[in-house]
Amino acid sequence: MLLSSWSIALLLCGLIVLFLMGLAARSAIRVLLYWDPASDSNRQIRLENEIWLTSTLVEYALGIQIISLIVFVLAADFFSQSIAGAMCATGSLLADSYGVPALVVKIVGVFFYGFWIVLHQLDIHSEKYPLVRKKYLYLLLLIPLLILDLTLEILYITGLKPDIITSCCAVVFGDTTGGGTNLIGGFSHGLSMGLFYGTAGGLLCIGLFLLKRWQRWACVLFSSGWLWFFLLSLTVVTSEFSSYIYAMPFHKCPFCILKPEYHYIGFVLYFALFLGAFFGMSGALVEPLRSVDDLESGVTGYQASAVKSSLFFLTVFVLVSSYHYWRYILIGGEG
Amino acid sequence: MNSRLTQHLNILDYALSSLWRRRAKNLSILIVFSWVIFLVASFQLVTQALTETATSVLRSTPEITVQKMSAGRQIEIPIDFSRKLAAIFGIQEIVPRVWGYYFDEVTGANYTVMGIAPGRMPLLDRLNLSLEEGGRYDQGSRGKVVIGRSIRRIMEEKGSTLLSLFRPDLSQTSFEVTGVFKPEVDILTNDLIVMNIDDARDLFAIPSSMATDLCVYVANPSEVATIARKISEALPGTRVLTRSQINRTYQVVFGWRSGFASVCLLTALTAFVILAWDKASGLSPEEKREISILKILGWETADVLAVRFWEGILVSGIAFIVGCTLAYAHVVFFNASLFKPVLIGWSVIYPEFRLVPSFRLDQFLLVFSLSVLPYLAATVIPAWRSASVPADSALSGM
Repeated sequence: MLLSSWSIALLLCGLIVLFLMGLAARSAIRVLLYWDPASDSNRQIRLENEIWLTSTLVEYALGIQIISLIVFVLAADFFSQSIAGAMCATGSLLADSYGVPALVVKIVGVFFYGFWIVLHQLDIHSEKYPLVRKKYLYLLLLIPLLILDLTLEILYITGLKPDIITSCCAVVFGDTTGGGTNLIGGFSHGLSMGLFYGTAGGLLCIGLFLLKRWQRWACVLFSSGWLWFFLLSLTVVTSEFSSYIYAMPFHKCPFCILKPEYHYIGFVLYFALFLGAFFGMSGALVEPLRSVDDLESGVTGYQASAVKSSLFFLTVFVLVSSYHYWRYILIGGEG
Repeated sequence: MNSRLTQHLNILDYALSSLWRRRAKNLSILIVFSWVIFLVASFQLVTQALTETATSVLRSTPEITVQKMSAGRQIEIPIDFSRKLAAIFGIQEIVPRVWGYYFDEVTGANYTVMGIAPGRMPLLDRLNLSLEEGGRYDQGSRGKVVIGRSIRRIMEEKGSTLLSLFRPDLSQTSFEVTGVFKPEVDILTNDLIVMNIDDARDLFAIPSSMATDLCVYVANPSEVATIARKISEALPGTRVLTRSQINRTYQVVFGWRSGFASVCLLTALTAFVILAWDKASGLSPEEKREISILKILGWETADVLAVRFWEGILVSGIAFIVGCTLAYAHVVFFNASLFKPVLIGWSVIYPEFRLVPSFRLDQFLLVFSLSVLPYLAATVIPAWRSASVPADSALSGM
């Protein structure tokens, strides 16, 4: 499957990100070795200039990585047309053992790059650049993740074998690959809906409380709540909401909602969920930085806007994902 | 939040005026970039349109086709085989078919001759719907044919009213033309001659107990795979093709060809990226002075970087819109005349068919990631270089 436009686009994205991050890593090594805020040597001035380059490079890399995540899912959907038994991206991601790990690494990667940008924004907020060493160490740690991402992607693409009709019947009539119905097969409909709306309501209350009075325990609760809600939402969207969007009880798939037949509703849904989860979780992650020299006001400002943004995206996500379900219930359908 | 938005709007405004000031340089980039995007997008749209056409064409083919194989090649299949399949539950109809290619030495063209069993094809009544003239296809009678438009044109050029064909022993047989297919189905029927199965056997000198293949119609589409497996078990030595496999092969072939074309286009893209890098790297003394004056006025490196970012977005956005619009026009109005031969092949009589790709966001995202992302990545370092021009460099030139 290597010689398909989608594979080429994916590999191109991966190589561009690796190139940009490689350049950023080169600066990172120099900063880690020679950074000296007290000095006013030429090298220090050059390094201070390079900080701008690295941040721009990582921002571009993040943007391309987000696009590459979408391209990856759409590519898997495209590959499903040529894999026996696969009907959509679910089938082709399960077609070899690298599909799902590649997707997970990509999603995790987007969060990690995003956190780097938060760190950078906090750092440049202060004139002393107190986080320089930490953030460049973090940047160097991102490189293995990136290489893993690209490796899994290549393994996945090269592992996909399309069936050609001239091959023997035994190969052609291979088993169909599975669907996404067994994700939370153990949960009943009522329980998963209760958990979903309960957690969303809880997050909303804690968020509003945090905006009125900042408490460290509430912040940690809010962020861990978001982590739980993020994973829960991915499964509930797949196993519950998606079939209402498709208007077919047995069609449960997290990827088909990205298709034009369903008005690209999945993009709005996942966009809101990912952004909400990112802002929600990053609030607690920056909490330890409060004690760092000169960062208190920056951290406070960021946390307040992160909580506001996460609540906004939470509302959008819950409204968009529940729309088809509640419309069905309100016009007289049975839950 | 509002002040940041206003700041970015102002920066966007500045980026626009800055692009306009260097319009000659930017226009050259824009034209080359639009051309590259046009090439990439055209290929994608042609591939997509061909895939969609193949899928819609295959909708009317039988669910399963059974062919007999010998030494890896297809040979004639005994009609008796259909009796062995009668026991398989779920089969609606098994229809023998005789088909082959007929080489016309006068014109150098290959016709496709299709002999169908009268009255047994479930979808035969649909055939009449695709006839342009000549009324109904007479199912029972021999010596009558329905032909594609190219064959009618060849007959008109010859000035004959009867279609005369030669058997393998060079004796002649003539057919009366009772109908011509509509232009809408040209992709399937342009070089096609449909006749009675016994006429086809007579033409190709095939014994009456044999057929080229057996078409199996299945009532329930979800049973196709199981029935196909049962057929291949019941008839060893046959090749069993299902419609979905044929469709998948088309997808793979078109996907492979467009992928191959993308690889070729990558060279054009690389050349363009090098050009963009080069153009963005060459900072003129005026540009240097401009940036250092901005810095003296209080601009920061981040602001200059933002200007460069917006410039890149504007150039690539405009080039993307222009390139994709041209590509769409090329495919829809000019029938993709630049690339169609690469993707579909060539023959003496080839169907004229219109390609109409549907508007899909994923295709545009694909083109975007193949063209705009490399451009943005190529301009980021030159953008930083220009943004890090020190404030005092304006004074050194004075």
